[in-house]
Amino acid sequence: MVGVIDLERRAGPFSWRAWGLIVNFVGNTVALYGAAGVLRDGSGWPALAAGLVITVLCLLVLAIPTPDPSRPDDG
Amino acid sequence: MIGDRTSRAHRYPLAEEIPVEVLDAEVRRLERLRARPLPLRLAGYLRLGGPGFMNAALTLGAGTLTATMLAASTFGYSLMWLTWVSMGLGVFMMMAMARFTCRGGFAVVEVQNRYHGWIVGSMMTALVGTVFVGLVFSFGQYSLGTHLIESLTPFLGFEFPRQINWVLYMALTTWLILSYGRRSGGGAQRVETAMKIGILIMLVCFGICLLVVGVDWRAALRGIFVPWLPPGGPGLDLFIASSAASIGVMDWFFFNYAGLARGWGRRHESLARFDITVGLFVPFVLVNFIVASVFAATLFRQGLQPQTAQELATALMPLLGPTWAPVLFYLGFLAVPITTTVAMSIATAMGLHAAMGWQPDTSSWRWRLSALLPQVGFLAVWFPDPIWLIIVISAFLALSNNIVGWSFFLLLNDRRVLGADRSRSYLWNLGVLLQISLLNSVAILYVFNRLGWWA
Repeated sequence: MVGVIDLERRAGPFSWRAWGLIVNFVGNTVALYGAAGVLRDGSGWPALAAGLVITVLCLLVLAIPTPDPSRPDDG
Repeated sequence: MIGDRTSRAHRYPLAEEIPVEVLDAEVRRLERLRARPLPLRLAGYLRLGGPGFMNAALTLGAGTLTATMLAASTFGYSLMWLTWVSMGLGVFMMMAMARFTCRGGFAVVEVQNRYHGWIVGSMMTALVGTVFVGLVFSFGQYSLGTHLIESLTPFLGFEFPRQINWVLYMALTTWLILSYGRRSGGGAQRVETAMKIGILIMLVCFGICLLVVGVDWRAALRGIFVPWLPPGGPGLDLFIASSAASIGVMDWFFFNYAGLARGWGRRHESLARFDITVGLFVPFVLVNFIVASVFAATLFRQGLQPQTAQELATALMPLLGPTWAPVLFYLGFLAVPITTTVAMSIATAMGLHAAMGWQPDTSSWRWRLSALLPQVGFLAVWFPDPIWLIIVISAFLALSNNIVGWSFFLLLNDRRVLGADRSRSYLWNLGVLLQISLLNSVAILYVFNRLGWWA
């Protein structure tokens, strides 16, 4: 299953891998925003949890290596 | 096939100073080393390595060592685990640079310009991440280097104030900087050997000081292997800053270009990996470990917490005992700014040439002037560090380092760029992504701090 995910395919202006990096950045931001709330008054747990889930999912998916091209024109 | 990447058509201009026969002989030597027993192979690699040591010299500067001393004076051995964890994470990205150099055979900025635009390549990587950093942080090296010479010479029986000794500092570093890449100087290898000697001096001098003050091994082992951070926001700040600061854009860029300057090709990748591990990771961790241990065993025990490198060194002296121990400490510490100034200046010249699209030619005035630009740091002898400039550059770095990291990660996985040599390893990608997330965190925390959101 993992082997067939080709993150190098383009979706609009960027590849899926580049979009994933942007989503990961958003996840990092949400996690740190939550962490700031937790450290300040203990209120940021939902944001911290959501941010961490997004971050972990992004890392797990983005780490998938680029497969060999299925068609000659893919490469 | 020997010479597959050593033909002149594919070579970085600085490597053209090295005759093709010499490069081919090095490849044959590497082939022979692969068949030798491990100790002999490692010794051979140690002789042939170089860019990794240059990177260690670059990153083991006044800033890094001051941060280590401050952390050890304040928290003792407790934060020693941060050193190897942060450098360990950085190694994944350095391995990507080794791949670009050896298998890709390309200068990263050119490829970034082509695929990700000149803002990411020429501006963020070469100009801001390398050239501006080289210019701004040379002030700290000069300030520390001239102070150390001034403090060292009374032990030798004479005074040599920093208002005069900067000339000696400039002469020595200029000679080394301008030796780089010269055919008469053995290409890049003379300077690489000087960096190896500099790191050896640090290890020996600091190591002897450590023998004098002793190590609390129980506390040291706990500090190395049991993660601990000060509680709350400051602890998280410290972890993220340390993790991101060990290796940055300048180090990535420099390893790629210094490898190209050595004429490294496909057959050099195992040497490049060895160089990153033994030339960069091991010296970085060892020097930091030794320096942190010296300060944990002395200033931390006494409850002294000076704030600058100069104050830290001065406060340590009475605690080192016999006269020769402070002399050795000053000598080892002096190797820190000297090697960093040299490596940083060469990186600055490479960065400026890459940003402007100039062909690097070490015999040209353009190269010499570019390489000597960071010598403007001598002004630190009379004036304080340009704080406003450091703040501006640090802000740019905090907000752009991660974007450069994204760019390298995308190149590493791009089949248009590396073809069959792109990353095939899930774990390698994961390691690079962890470092990118840390760099993202630095950028985010920088903005949060400005908005007053961070505790």
